[in-house]
Amino acid sequence: MLLSVFTEDLLVRVYIKLGSESDRKTWRLVCKDFLRVDSVTRRSLRVLRSEFLHGLLSKYKNLDTLDLTVCPRIEDATVSVMLSQAVNSVSWTRWVTRLVLSRASGLRYGGLERLVGACPCLEVLDVSYCWVYGDREAWAISSVRGLRELRMDKCLGVSDVGLAKIAVGCGKLERLSLKWCMEISDLGVDLLCKKCLELKSLDVSYLKVTSESLRSIASLPKLELLAMVGCPFLDDYGLQFLEHGCPSLQAIDVSRCGCVSSSGLISVVRGHRGLAMLNAGYCFSELSAMVLYSLKDLKNLNTIRIDGAQVSDSSFQTFSTNCKSLVEIGLSKCVGVTNMGIMQLVYGCVGLKIVNLTCCRFITDEAISALANSCRNLVSLKLEACDKVTEKSLDQLGSCCLQLKELDLTDCCGVNDKGLKYLSRCSELLSLKLGLCTNISDKGLAYIAHNCTKISELDLYRCTSIGDDGLAALSSGFKNLMKLNLSYCNGVTDRGVQYIGCLGELSDLEMRGLVNLTSEGLTAVAAGCKKLSDLDLKHCGKIDDSGFWALSYYSRNMRQINMSYCAVSDVGLCMVLGNLTRLQDVKLVHLMNVTVKGFELALRACCVRIKKAKLIGSLRFLLSTEILETLHARGCKIRWE
Amino acid sequence: MDHKEMPCPTADTWGKSFPSGNELLKNISSDDTPLTSSQRSQQKWEDPSMLDYNARIEPPFQDFKQRSETQSSLPCNPNNHNKVTDEEDVQMNGTIQTEKIQDWDPRAMLNNLTFLEQKIHQLQDLVHLIVGRRSQALGRPDELVAQQKQLITADLTSIIVQLISTAGSLLPSVKPLSGTTPTGQLGQLGGLFLPSTVGLNGSVQLQNNSGSKVSDQSNQMDITVNCGNEQNYNMEEHESKDDEDADEGENLPPGSYEILQLEKEEILAPHTHFCTICGKGFKRDANLRMHMRGHGDEYKTPAALAKPNKEATSEPMLIKRYSCPYAGCKRNKEHKKFQPLKTILCVKNHYKRTHCDKSYTCSRCNTKKFSVIADLKTHEKHCGKDKWLCSCGTTFSRKDKLFGHIALFQGHTPAIPLEETKGPNVPPDRGEGNEAINKVRSINFNFGSNAPNGNEVQNTADVKGNIEDPTGYFSPLNFDTWNFGGFHEFPRPPYEDSESSLSFLIPGSCNYTVPGSCNFTQKTGAESSSNNPE
Repeated sequence: MLLSVFTEDLLVRVYIKLGSESDRKTWRLVCKDFLRVDSVTRRSLRVLRSEFLHGLLSKYKNLDTLDLTVCPRIEDATVSVMLSQAVNSVSWTRWVTRLVLSRASGLRYGGLERLVGACPCLEVLDVSYCWVYGDREAWAISSVRGLRELRMDKCLGVSDVGLAKIAVGCGKLERLSLKWCMEISDLGVDLLCKKCLELKSLDVSYLKVTSESLRSIASLPKLELLAMVGCPFLDDYGLQFLEHGCPSLQAIDVSRCGCVSSSGLISVVRGHRGLAMLNAGYCFSELSAMVLYSLKDLKNLNTIRIDGAQVSDSSFQTFSTNCKSLVEIGLSKCVGVTNMGIMQLVYGCVGLKIVNLTCCRFITDEAISALANSCRNLVSLKLEACDKVTEKSLDQLGSCCLQLKELDLTDCCGVNDKGLKYLSRCSELLSLKLGLCTNISDKGLAYIAHNCTKISELDLYRCTSIGDDGLAALSSGFKNLMKLNLSYCNGVTDRGVQYIGCLGELSDLEMRGLVNLTSEGLTAVAAGCKKLSDLDLKHCGKIDDSGFWALSYYSRNMRQINMSYCAVSDVGLCMVLGNLTRLQDVKLVHLMNVTVKGFELALRACCVRIKKAKLIGSLRFLLSTEILETLHARGCKIRWE
Repeated sequence: MDHKEMPCPTADTWGKSFPSGNELLKNISSDDTPLTSSQRSQQKWEDPSMLDYNARIEPPFQDFKQRSETQSSLPCNPNNHNKVTDEEDVQMNGTIQTEKIQDWDPRAMLNNLTFLEQKIHQLQDLVHLIVGRRSQALGRPDELVAQQKQLITADLTSIIVQLISTAGSLLPSVKPLSGTTPTGQLGQLGGLFLPSTVGLNGSVQLQNNSGSKVSDQSNQMDITVNCGNEQNYNMEEHESKDDEDADEGENLPPGSYEILQLEKEEILAPHTHFCTICGKGFKRDANLRMHMRGHGDEYKTPAALAKPNKEATSEPMLIKRYSCPYAGCKRNKEHKKFQPLKTILCVKNHYKRTHCDKSYTCSRCNTKKFSVIADLKTHEKHCGKDKWLCSCGTTFSRKDKLFGHIALFQGHTPAIPLEETKGPNVPPDRGEGNEAINKVRSINFNFGSNAPNGNEVQNTADVKGNIEDPTGYFSPLNFDTWNFGGFHEFPRPPYEDSESSLSFLIPGSCNYTVPGSCNFTQKTGAESSSNNPE
C-alpha cells in the first residue's frame, strides 16, 4: 500500500539518503519493490563471497564500482563465471569505471585481461598487493586505454618492461602508485614520464630509483602529488631538478629518504611556493635554520610532518608566525619538543586539527592545556608515550575539544579513571587507544562506555586492571564497536568475553594471551559477533577444539585468524580452515596438538582461497610438495617461521 | 701453402725488390715482337711440372719464396691460370733473351744501360778486391767485413733503382711500338707483370689472415703493394648495410655519371678488387692493376703499376655509378626510379642481399640467415645478446636502448615473450610457470569448480602430464591412513541443535575439499544429503 503513495522515483530518492550498509540491507528486506529499487540504484558493490558473485552481478546492472578485495577465490575461472552471463543479457560491466582487485593474487593475466577487457568504461583499477603480478599482468592492464588511476602497490614482479607497457598503453593515466614494485628502475620511470604527461599523482615509494628519475619526473607538467617514501638512492641533487620542474606540485613526501638533507628540501621549497603538504619525516637529524627560513614562504602549507627531527622552540616560533593555515603537524619522535615550543606553536596555528606528539616525552599538561584551549577544532591527537600527561590534560580536552574523534593515549601512565571521566565529555570520539594504561580500571571504562557511544575502535592492550565488569559496561555502551583489542588483559575471563558477544558490529578482535579464556568464551563470541572477520587468539592456550568448532560453525565472515599456540588439534584445525569459506589469512605456528597430516589436510581444505599463511619452518620439509606448489600457484604467500 | 710461404726471415726488402726489378727487365725484353709467337706456342704446354722446371732454372737471385707462392696461388685462381703460365714462360724466355734489350732501344736507353754496365763492372771490381783481400788475410775484424758488405749493398741498390727507372721510361712507349696487336700485347703484359705483384699480393693477404706479422710486412708492401690493398681488405669486414644505401641522398642528375652494369657472374665471383671504371673484379690487386692498363695510358706509368695510389685514381674523370643486373630492381638502370649504386661493393652487397638466397645461417640461433657473410658476422657478434625486444620486432642488446627506442616511437612497447622461460623446476617461492598455472586449473577442476571453461578437458589432460597421478593427488588413502576414529566422539558444542550442525559441517567441508574427503565423510556415517542452504 505504500507503493500506491510513493512512486519509484521517490523511493530512489529515499534510498539514496541511506547511509550505512546495514540500513540498505534492511531496505532490501522490506519488499520486492524496495529490493528492485536497490538493485537498480546501487552503484557500488563490495562482494564478500565468490559463491554469491554470479547472482549479485546478474542482479546489479548499473554498477560503477566493483570491489573484490575481500572476496576469496578470485581467479581466472571466476572471471569466466563473472562474464558468462554477459553473453545473453545486458552485462554488469558496461558502466563499471572502478575495479578493485586488491589482493586478488589468484587472478593471472589471462583472467585479468578478460575482466578489464569486458569493462569498456574502466577508469580506475586497483591491483595492489597482488604480489605475484608481473609484466604479463601489466601487459593485460595496458589494454585499458582510458585508465586514469592505477594502484599497483607491491606487485612485486612488475619490472620496467611492464611499466613501459602501461605507460604506452594507458597514456591518460593521472594517478599511479608503484609503491614496492621493487623491480622498477629509472628507465621505467623515465619512460613513464615521457608517455604519461597527464600524471597528477605519482607514488614511487620504496623503489630503487635515483636522481635520474627525479630529472624525468620534473618534466611532468601537471604533477601535484609526489610520494617518494623510503627511496634509499634519492638525494639532494635529484631534488634540485624539482625546483624548476613540476609547476603544479602541491604535495611532496620524501620521508625516510636516507640521502635527502635540508639542502634538497630547501631547493624544492624554493621552487614551489604553493606547496600545501610536506612530509620530511626521518630525513634529517636537525631542522636547520635554513629550512625554517625557507618554510617562511609557504603560505599555503597546511600539513607538515618532520618526524624524528631535532627541533627547538624557535622552530615553532617560525611555524606560528608564518604558517597560519597549518592544519596538521607531525612531530612524532622529534627531539626537543617542549611545553614552550608547543605553546608558541598553538599561539599562531589555531586551526590545527591533527597533532601527532608521539614520544614527545617532555610534554606535560601545560602544553596539552594550551593546545586544547587554542585549537578548539582538534580532531586527532596522538600522545603515545607522553607519560607526563595526566587527568588535567584530559579535563581540558574534555571541556574544549568537543570535536575530538581520535585520541591515542597508549603508554600514558598518568591516565587514570578520573581522566577518563573528564574525557568522556568528548562524545564524538571514534577511536580511543588506552593500551598500556595500567592505571585505568573497569570504573573508568564505564564512564567512557556510557558517554562515548560512537566509539568504533578501542584499544585496551595490556590494561591489566580491566576485568569482566569493564567488558560488561563496554558491551552495553559501544554498540558501534568494530575493533577491539583485549590482548594480555589478564583479568578478563570467559564471563567477560561472553559480553563481547553482544557487539554485533565487531569485526576485529584481538585477544592475545588471555590465559583464562576457554572454548566457552570463544563460542559466545563466535555466536554473537556475526561480522567478525579478523580474530587473534595467539597464546590463548586454553581454547581447544570445541571453541574452534563453534568458530567454524558461526563465524562465516572470518577472513583472518591467528591460532598460534592454541590447543587446537587436527580436527579443529580442519574444521576451521575447511568451513570458514572467507578465510584468507591464517597464522598457524606452534600448534602442539596438530600433526603434519593435520596441517596437510587442513591446507588442502582451504588452499583454493587462502592468500597468506604463516607456518612453522620445519613444516616446509614435512608437507607434501604438491600442497606447497598448489598454494603457491594459487597466489598464496607462505611465511615460514 | 702457408708453411711454404711464411717462414722468410731473409725476405727483406731487397729480397722482394730484386725479382721485381729483374722481372721488369725480362718483361721488357719479352715485348720484343718476334717472340710473341713462341710465347703463344708455349702457352699450350701448361703443365705443373713444366712450371716447376721453369722455376728451378730461374736466375739465382730471384727469391725462391716468391715463386713457390706464385705456384701455390695457381690452383685457387683458375682465371689467372693462363696468365701465370704465360708469365712463367716469358720468364724463361726472358732469361734467354736478356741481351736483346738494346736492339730496339733509343739512345737514351743505351746510355742508361751503359752507365749501368759501368756501375756493375765497378761493383764487380770491388767484390773482386774484397775476395782477393779476404784470401790474403783471414781473420780480419768483423767490422771491416760489415763495412764492405754495406758498400756493396749501397751500390747494388743504386743499380737496381736505375734499372727500374730505365725500365719505367721504356713503358709508355710500348703501345705505339706494338700498335698492330694492342690487345694481344696487353694480355701478355698483364700476364708478364704478374709474378712479382701477385706473389706479394698473395703474401700480404696471407699476412692479414694470420694477423700477426703486419708490422714487418709493411716494409714489403711499401715497395710493390699499395696500402689501399690492405684497407680494402679490411673494409670488407666492416662493411655494413649502409654501404648499399650510402648514395641515397645523392641526387646526381641522370647523364652526369656513367652507368656501369656488372654481370651476375662477376658480382658473385669471389673478388675483392674491382676496377673503378668497368667494375670487373679481381682476386688480387696486382691483376687489377694489370687490367687497368687497358683503360688508358695513365695506368701504364711505373708509378701506377708499382704503387697504384691515389694520384692515379684522382685524375678527373666522369663519375661512375653502378646498376644492378637484376631486371625490375630499383637499382637496375631500366627502372623508372632508378637509384644507382655508388661502389662495386655496394653492387655486390645489394645483389647478394636482395637477389640471392640467404645461405649463411647463424650457428648460434639457427634461425637468422644472411646472404652476405659480413652480415652474418655482425649478427653473430650480437646473437643471443639481443634479449631486449620491441613489439615492432627490433631487438636491442641493452635495456636502455630499447627504452630509448620506445620513448621515440609512438605505440611501440617492449615485447614480453609468450613462453615463460622458466624451467619446470621452479622453486615455489618464485616463478609463475605454465606448469603452475596448469596445476591451478587442474585443481580447480578437481575441486569441481563450476567454471564453464571450454578448456577443462584440456586442463585435465595437462594435469596428467604434470602431476603424476591427479586422482591420487587428494587420494582417499591419505584419509584412511590418518586416524579419523576420534571424529565420532568429537564433543558436540552445547548450542548444537541436533543433526543440522553436523550435517552443515560436513557438506561445508565437502564443498571445499575434494572427492577424497567426501569419501571420508560418508565413511563416518554422517549423511551429507541434507545440505545447508548457504
